[in-house]
Amino acid sequence: MDILYLLIPLSAVLVLGILGVFAWALNGGQFDDLEQHGEQILDAAVDSFDKHQDA
Amino acid sequence: MHATLAGAISGAGHALSNDLQVLDDAIECARFTRWVPLAEGRRAAESSLRIGGMHCNGCAVIVEQALRRVDGVLDAHVSAVAECATVQWDAARTRPSAFVAAIERAGYAAVPDTAAGARALRRQESRDALWRLFVAVFCAMQVMMLATPSYLSTSTELAPDLKQLLDWGSWLLTLPVMLFAAAPFFTGAWRSLRGGHIGMDVPAALGMLVAFVASSGAAFDPGGVFGREVYFDSLAMFVSFLLGGRYLEMRARHSAALSLEDAIGRLPETALRENADGSLASVSVLRLQRGDVVRIPVGQAFCADGLLTQGRTRADESLLSGESAPVDKVAGDAVVAGSLNLGAPVTMRVERVGADTRFEAIVAMMRDARGRRPATLQGADRWAAPFLWAVLLLAGGAAAVWSVIDPSRAVWVAVSVLIVTCPCALSLAAPSALLASAVAMARNGVMLRRLEAIEGLARMRTLFLDKTGTLTEPQGRGVQMVRIDRGPRWTDAALRGTAASLAAWSTHPLAKALAKENASSGAAWCELAETPGQGMQGRAVDGTVWRLGRSPAQHAAAIDSDEVEAWLSCDGQPVACFRFNEVLRADAVAAVRALERDGVRIALLSGDTPARVERIGRLLGIADRCGGMAPQDKLVAVRAAQARGEIVAMLGDGINDAPVLAQADTSLAMGEGAQIARAQADGVLVSNALQDVVRARSLAKKTLRVVRQNFIWAAGYNAACVPLALVGWLPPWAAGLGMATSSLVVVLNSLRLAR
Repeated sequence: MDILYLLIPLSAVLVLGILGVFAWALNGGQFDDLEQHGEQILDAAVDSFDKHQDA
Repeated sequence: MHATLAGAISGAGHALSNDLQVLDDAIECARFTRWVPLAEGRRAAESSLRIGGMHCNGCAVIVEQALRRVDGVLDAHVSAVAECATVQWDAARTRPSAFVAAIERAGYAAVPDTAAGARALRRQESRDALWRLFVAVFCAMQVMMLATPSYLSTSTELAPDLKQLLDWGSWLLTLPVMLFAAAPFFTGAWRSLRGGHIGMDVPAALGMLVAFVASSGAAFDPGGVFGREVYFDSLAMFVSFLLGGRYLEMRARHSAALSLEDAIGRLPETALRENADGSLASVSVLRLQRGDVVRIPVGQAFCADGLLTQGRTRADESLLSGESAPVDKVAGDAVVAGSLNLGAPVTMRVERVGADTRFEAIVAMMRDARGRRPATLQGADRWAAPFLWAVLLLAGGAAAVWSVIDPSRAVWVAVSVLIVTCPCALSLAAPSALLASAVAMARNGVMLRRLEAIEGLARMRTLFLDKTGTLTEPQGRGVQMVRIDRGPRWTDAALRGTAASLAAWSTHPLAKALAKENASSGAAWCELAETPGQGMQGRAVDGTVWRLGRSPAQHAAAIDSDEVEAWLSCDGQPVACFRFNEVLRADAVAAVRALERDGVRIALLSGDTPARVERIGRLLGIADRCGGMAPQDKLVAVRAAQARGEIVAMLGDGINDAPVLAQADTSLAMGEGAQIARAQADGVLVSNALQDVVRARSLAKKTLRVVRQNFIWAAGYNAACVPLALVGWLPPWAAGLGMATSSLVVVLNSLRLAR
């Protein structure tokens, strides 16, 4: 069980690392609008999306 | 007809060519532009624009490139997701009109973004809240994991140094929760203490502080004055519960602010002003002054209060006055800012602008009423101070008594008392039940913006109802046809079709209803002409002249009659008469009856004519009915009821209801109502069904019962445990476990509502 003495501090450091990753994603605006991309496929204007791809 | 149409088109063309230059106007420009300092003491203008027509990041790049090619544009950032652009430009070298034109040339639409500042602020607030919530929840999960061994093992199984390590780990992971995530509670508590009163933040902050200090002491000096038990897990969980509630509250507040911004966009931003020499100029509405003569195209809102000087038209004032039929306006009549010009292009002389207009007055009245909403619902804060003093006295008294009996136990007995009374379960008792109930209501078609509305719904004594659009269908007026001639020349269906195809050419709301309810025969018409306020006329292919409109006998606008009629005549001979009835919503009668059985007094407040209000009131059996009320009259009626000590709810849909919605203790708006009414209401009936109010009320009553149970449980738990802690029979670890269990019981009890 001696490995616990390594693993517990390691997990604490890992948590702080994950918090950092979340902060990066948050400040990059990834959580600003969670609905918009899901609703996009229901949007009537989207068929022009395909035209755009052809061009 | 031709002349007016040509006038409208030439007017519109003029507006287009001039529109962009309005953006260069200093006042207009300041609405969407800020100054930012650059290096070497120079400064640049930074404008926010909303871009329309973008679908992906590729489009954003195209717009950015188009902007950067404009001489004088220093920098440009376009976001496809937010549909907005930020442009930095040199005021000496370019103008907003130049780069807006560049965007339009690139194939996208751009409008100045006047709400950019408020939106940026909201985004910052929302990111901040999410960040705190994530830190608290994520750390709480980890701390709980580290705390599990000491819950599951006996003291002999867990080696002391391993327990020490786990405690240190918990302390490290609680540090971000205390220092960062819980900061709003500490600043809130500090603010209210400095202000000389005690809010609910104070007991919560005190509980957190005591738990943290005691646990830190136990973690770093096991067996010292704070004993050897740590409560980092309870602490982190408590903070994340509270932050979760605040986050949801903030989301609701932001969506309300967003719809308010949309509503204010109802006034046009530019106006077509006639100069003294007869030329036309497109100017910002902010530049309009009293006495200016302005042209208003068809379909646009009047930009200011004023008098018509030329032309005759119909104005849709329903959103302001509640009057359901459009009002005829001739030269010399007063028009109201925010109402829509439906008939023909007209000219008006501006009498009042900006903050003096009735539209702005209603918005101001609404904000004012909101600020003065009676504080019947602040129970938590009322109890915070006595609760806190009682806890402090108990803990202090226990410490004093124990320092005499056994000084070594004095500190941890005091800590036990403080932890066992930590208002965790108490502060979760109401919010968790209200939240679960709001989820259940949303599933039943009532979206709530403020959780306190549930209490108001359950307690309301009087429900004020608006008529037009709330009790009656807003557009779907029932159309009934009465044949005047009994000849076999046309079938009923043929007449309906003829009327519908003629009506389809008109913009009159009654004609629209007629065209919508009957299938058009698709007949071809020539020599079509519409006389405002009189009707529509056209020649069919077989040469007969048909007319749809007022009957000659009805010349003297019989707008006060119960029903509105339109006559169809062929070659001057009346053929059929269409009667338009205001149609009650299908469930209106049942809902009103059910609410009255439930002990709610129903009153009808309407801006519509007294005769129509009378008719609807009789149909529904509502004795208390008032017609012809302006927004301020409605406000007076509601205030009078509140002064009598009644808890008042209001259900409405129009802009004219917005001040009353803000004043009432609880307010509901119809889902298809005006934006501003929906933004102002505590809840929205998404499916426009009045029966949802009945269901929501019974759920609200059930919610209050659950809240009461929660309070009894939490208070009972505290009452039972405090004496145990006082006599020193309750070790702190049991206090921590009890605290977590009582919170869990409260949350589970609340969740029964969401089923």
